[in-house]
Amino acid sequence: MTAIDEVDQLERLNKRGRDLFGKTYGFSVDYNEPISQRIRYTSKLRTEYTAAQAQLPPHITAKLPPSTSASRKKEDAARKDVDALLNDILPPPPPAGSLLAKPSLDSTALTVRQETDTSTKSNDQQLMLRQQRQQQPQSSAARALIERQANVAQVRPEWHAPWKLMRVISGHLGWVRSVCVEPDNQWFATGAGDRTIKIWDLASGTLKLTLTGHIMTVRGLAVSPRHPYLFSAGEDKMVKCWDLEQNKVIRHYHGHLSGVYALDLHPSLDVLVTAGRDGVARVWDMRSRREVHILSGHKGTISSVKCQAEDPQVLTGSMDTQVRLWDLAAGKTQTVLTHHKKSVRALTTHPTEFTFASGSADNIKQWKLPEGGFMHNFSPQHNAIVNTLSTNSDGVMFSGGDNGTMAFFDWKTGHKFQEVETAAMPGSLEAENGIFASTFDQTGLRLITCEADKSIKIWREDPEATPETHPGIEWRPTLGRRRF
Amino acid sequence: MESGSVTYNEYGALVMTTGGSRANIPSYGKRQGWRPKTAEDYGDGGAYPEINILQYPLDLGRKKQGTSNALAIQVDGEGKIKYDAIARQGQAAGRIVHTSFSDLIPLRQRANIGEINLARPSEEEVALTTAKTKAAFDNILNGKADAANAKSITNSKTSEPTFIRYTPSSMMGDKAGGQRIIKMVDLPEDPMAPPKFKHTKVPRGPPSPPAPLLRSPPRKLTVKDQEDFAIPPSVSKWKNAKGYTIALDKRLAADGRGLQDVEISDNFAKLSEALYAADRHAREEVKQRALLQQRLADEEKERKEEHLRELARKVREERGEPRRRQRTVSPDEPRGRTMARGRSISRTPSGSGSRSGSYSSYDSRSRSGSYSRTPPNRRRSYSRSASRSRSGSYSRSPSRSLSGSRSRSRSYSRSPSRTPSRSLSRSRSRSRSLSVDARPSKFRRID
Repeated sequence: MTAIDEVDQLERLNKRGRDLFGKTYGFSVDYNEPISQRIRYTSKLRTEYTAAQAQLPPHITAKLPPSTSASRKKEDAARKDVDALLNDILPPPPPAGSLLAKPSLDSTALTVRQETDTSTKSNDQQLMLRQQRQQQPQSSAARALIERQANVAQVRPEWHAPWKLMRVISGHLGWVRSVCVEPDNQWFATGAGDRTIKIWDLASGTLKLTLTGHIMTVRGLAVSPRHPYLFSAGEDKMVKCWDLEQNKVIRHYHGHLSGVYALDLHPSLDVLVTAGRDGVARVWDMRSRREVHILSGHKGTISSVKCQAEDPQVLTGSMDTQVRLWDLAAGKTQTVLTHHKKSVRALTTHPTEFTFASGSADNIKQWKLPEGGFMHNFSPQHNAIVNTLSTNSDGVMFSGGDNGTMAFFDWKTGHKFQEVETAAMPGSLEAENGIFASTFDQTGLRLITCEADKSIKIWREDPEATPETHPGIEWRPTLGRRRF
Repeated sequence: MESGSVTYNEYGALVMTTGGSRANIPSYGKRQGWRPKTAEDYGDGGAYPEINILQYPLDLGRKKQGTSNALAIQVDGEGKIKYDAIARQGQAAGRIVHTSFSDLIPLRQRANIGEINLARPSEEEVALTTAKTKAAFDNILNGKADAANAKSITNSKTSEPTFIRYTPSSMMGDKAGGQRIIKMVDLPEDPMAPPKFKHTKVPRGPPSPPAPLLRSPPRKLTVKDQEDFAIPPSVSKWKNAKGYTIALDKRLAADGRGLQDVEISDNFAKLSEALYAADRHAREEVKQRALLQQRLADEEKERKEEHLRELARKVREERGEPRRRQRTVSPDEPRGRTMARGRSISRTPSGSGSRSGSYSSYDSRSRSGSYSRTPPNRRRSYSRSASRSRSGSYSRSPSRSLSGSRSRSRSYSRSPSRTPSRSLSRSRSRSRSLSVDARPSKFRRID
């Protein structure tokens, strides 16, 4: 076994450790620098490739038809040297003299080999010429093959304290389907299947007010940060604007053909976006109650809508498994994301990063805005129908399932660090385990979940937890090829 | 000759000639080997019949290719064919379509991604976007005519006449006139005229091309999946309009019997076992209680017999002395009914010292002597009590002495004293049943 093979073996053995801890402990050797890459590949190819280039035995060449000068030239050209091959992929090596001048680089091996190999002397000169001519002789496809290895190293997820139940608020007479926290963090409103909207004090959990007016379940709620209005949408096709100073409805937005399942307010314009069972999202001017746009394109019920100030300003997730990003000024779709296999029931945007996540029964996926690039799946999977997603400014994402399971994820790496099952109130049926809506409060320290056992639960991080006592679900990096 | 000259032809029309190429065209008879290559080589005329090639002067006569909707192959900057042009066909420029496999790979693992910037756009950009959107919205909202706004329906601007000042150009010879004013008036529209045009519905255009599905195709159904989700046809249990005869298993197929596993709870068996155990336990207790009661009764009987013997002895002693006084024994309550016999015995002033075996002599004696002397509320029907047959086992069983006298007599006295006519057995059973309720708890454990 040659020295090169031994080095390869050692490298393979140490690769995992280096990739995991190299950055932490500051290994100064960067094996992905172009020069070291070139050395590695050159030596590897020379060891293996030259053997494959072996001449045919003489008794066979005697039988072959005599080759003409042109064909022989072709044969010689076909047996290109390793350097010429690599020039297509890697940046060319610096000239031989300059390498010796830099003592830090172990590049003398390259020049030595070139001198001993007589057949390549002329090729070396060709190489120099080629270097002068071409600046970056790389084809992106071949480069991609090599550079991919550099990205496999993974980031360790940040530790988060586990979440535990703090308070249970009961008072609704039907499934609690929607929730919204006031911008000042004093109170929050919930809408339920008993057709009422109840306003609760956040600090104490006591009921402050009940608003009646809808005739079917209230599915969407939003409190405007710039006006004293509360907007509600129900399965009875009604979208109502409540004046919070008088506690009564002042506007109706008429136009939906079927139940409205989701509602959101635009942060900078006086516009609200609602969507529902008729498969279109409607953009309403708040003051004049007129539809500005009808965002059509989805073929199934739209289950969630999110609005933001930057383009794409509206994100919708639908039961036809598509997520669409809309250009609001034109009223047209900007991108369609078709990665999900099951209906997308939940969407959430990160408060500070320009990313969002979509949740469905098969996977929860994170996306980069504005082009909608797929970032990663949240793993290990939350194996349930995900009804709701919420994100914290600390980078904690919560997903609530239809069977009462809850999962908490780290946003940056997508690692699930806690999985909990809600405890339904005593006396509930087994079928009454389920989470329909959730939100973090404005500080991100409390999570409010709305459940199928007609209760509202408030969760908070365990204050006594430490990384040693509560490490959470273990994270193991997966190196090597992964299937997509 | 200059390249472009302006001349008049024989009709007086202006003719501009491009002289250079004109000079190149060989004249008639001298065109062997010459080929017209450009459109100018045809000059004013048409094709040259003596030159035997296909000629299309002014491009007339060419067979045109039918216009096709096929998408032409496009090539990107690197020279690779854009195969996703078909997915982007006919869409707005700002549309982003994900078409390649690399869109499936997580962003941080893609090969040529470079630095990923996840920061939100700056506030200036946001303000720009907001302003642009707001302007677009205003346009839309203002354009939409309000049905309530009647003024906007009639636009008065077009109905007024407009005046145009027209200055004809002096191109045509000397006919340049002065300026003219032209008045343009709208043709008056008959308000009662029927509509001139029919509103025809235009069919919708094709939708935008469907987005490529970046997910694995759905898994194939297995036989097991199909069987799990197979729904039997619904056959009504109540209605049968055409009178079909349907097999019983088909009638009950939609019942859901096969889907449920009927599980009988263990508690049924536990209940019946508990009942058996309780029954056995109760019987044991009853038996034990009966034994206990019997023991008590035996002891009581012993005591009473002792007492009687004592009395008899005393009487005998008294009788041994000269009979001075008659003993009257007050009938006291605690003695109960068994004392009735003793009383009757003690009351008789007869001379016989020994007790006779038969009750009838007692009976007569009691009746004769003591009945009139007893107070009316204490009179009992001695006849019945005396003639009672001894059905119980008090006399038969050997009398046992009890340590603690849980006095039976007390329970006897609890029963209403108005009815002493009840048989002993009945009273015993009743008292037994009474004491069942009052049994002490320490006897429960006997089993």
